[in-house]
Amino acid sequence: MKDVIDVLQLQAQRDKIKRDEVATNYREVVDSTFFGVQFIFECGTKLNSHPLTIATAATLFHKFFKEAEKASYDQYLIASTCLYLASKMKDESLKVRDVINVSHNTLFRGSLPLDLGDEYWSMRDAIVQAELLIMRMLKFEVQTVHPHKFMLHYLKSLQGWLKPEDWKRVPLVQASYAFLQDFHYDPSILDVKPEHIAIAAIHLALQCYGVQVPFTAEEEGNVWYSVFVEDLNKDKVWELMEKIMNVYDSEPQKH
Amino acid sequence: MDERFSRYEKIEFLGEGQFATVYKARDTKTDDIVAVKKIKIGSLAEAKDGINRTALREIKLLQELNHPNIIGLLDVFGHKSNVSLVFDYMHTDLEVIIKDQSIVLTPANVKAYMLMTLHGLEYLHNQWILHRDLKPNNLLVNSAGVLKIGDFGLARFFGSPNRIYTHQVVTRWYRCPELLFGSKMYNTGVDMWALGCILAELLLRVPFLPGESDLEQLTRIFQTLGTPTEQSWPGVKGLQDYIQFKSFPGTPLNHIFIAASDDLLDLIASLLCINPIYRLNCQQALKMPYFSNKPPPSTGAQLPFPAALTSRDAERAQRKRKIEDQIERGVQPKRLQFDTSW
Repeated sequence: MKDVIDVLQLQAQRDKIKRDEVATNYREVVDSTFFGVQFIFECGTKLNSHPLTIATAATLFHKFFKEAEKASYDQYLIASTCLYLASKMKDESLKVRDVINVSHNTLFRGSLPLDLGDEYWSMRDAIVQAELLIMRMLKFEVQTVHPHKFMLHYLKSLQGWLKPEDWKRVPLVQASYAFLQDFHYDPSILDVKPEHIAIAAIHLALQCYGVQVPFTAEEEGNVWYSVFVEDLNKDKVWELMEKIMNVYDSEPQKH
Repeated sequence: MDERFSRYEKIEFLGEGQFATVYKARDTKTDDIVAVKKIKIGSLAEAKDGINRTALREIKLLQELNHPNIIGLLDVFGHKSNVSLVFDYMHTDLEVIIKDQSIVLTPANVKAYMLMTLHGLEYLHNQWILHRDLKPNNLLVNSAGVLKIGDFGLARFFGSPNRIYTHQVVTRWYRCPELLFGSKMYNTGVDMWALGCILAELLLRVPFLPGESDLEQLTRIFQTLGTPTEQSWPGVKGLQDYIQFKSFPGTPLNHIFIAASDDLLDLIASLLCINPIYRLNCQQALKMPYFSNKPPPSTGAQLPFPAALTSRDAERAQRKRKIEDQIERGVQPKRLQFDTSW
């Protein structure tokens, strides 16, 4: 009997360690933009938000902190608010109460949904105020052009250009979209043209799987994306690809 | 920001809608007259959910748009906990013009209004935006006779094949049969149908299909235009709220619009086509012979302007009309009014 309990305890302990490894404890990590965006992605996914809504929220977040002093605001409040604002902009009606509960549970893991008490009301008040603050900080210019639609268009064309067996063999679409979505961790997404990001993400995916677009030769300056954009050369694309890859090394030490 | 707030000098109160108050104001920087729409924040719903979704939609969409026949969003500013939108000042709207008995609408006038509306709408649709609330009240007219499409509180992007849309849009009298049957995948056809109803109203000077309930609305549509069948509209029976109606043959349009020319009747018929697949889009509508035939559309100065806006008596009459309207259409949500004060 004793043995059984020990095993269960060990298992629970192991699960706990595993969980701690995966889930970020936002209240204790260093104050880094990286975790702010991670918070948006985590809450957005839990809220079942559309990837474009999450991308909008991350963009709003970066735009806000481009203007604002980082230390003056609680970045998780801003993150939750960006998510709420993005859902409104994308006609996805997230309930403010759901946003609050998910944010709260993500910050205080394992906590129960908030009662309709003082804490809840003050959080709601904070979100409503922060929403207006963000809108005013951004001078009400909240519309963003996403790289996603360009990417869809480019991938659609590539589908016809690639050898059918390559297209079937390799998850090019998934990989490209994953690279693009993850690039939203990097504030420099604001400075790059959406078309260029889309191309860099696809090109990176092509490189990862070693897929060659027929009748192109990058060394000779003969590239697949030249039909889509005129202001992009090989060096620029590789520079952007490096930026995307850097996201994966940029997670700060948590403590 | 306070600087922006004081930039606009309030002249008078213009009207009040569900979510906003509208003032006429002077832009002290340019000396232009503008309309300032102040989004209410005091109401319960507002404080609850933060920035009003309708206002956010208007900001988001109108910032991107620039066309002579679309209301211009000139500025947005925040003051204290308010958000205000600054628009072109529009003197009146098509509803006022249609109802003003002292105005005679010539065929050339009607053509001019239709042309301006179609130009604005074509631009919108080309930007993948549906207006979803076209009605005479939302077609604003300024003192130069220029018509601009306004009120984008219900507008949204379309074209995404997997998006589900609500069918609870468009004021009932201007709502097309597929919406009334609960269709959740619709297209530019919803705006085109509304445009057909507006054209009919310009000719008749009373609402064309004033149904008092969704069911009566459908009855009116089918009585006038004929009940659709699985042959004339394949798939109609599969729509969510489809109900079998008595088979009406429809009324010939030239019996309703007795004074209308044939080319005009053709346009009405193709805008009010029951099957949305065959309903005209803006581009096709603009190519109809009606627009190249005589008479040419009136130019700005030739267009009528409601005397009501200058004379006090008439203004009072107009106010009375609004009040009567409200009683009459008790169930209709009252939208923003730019033209009167009560």
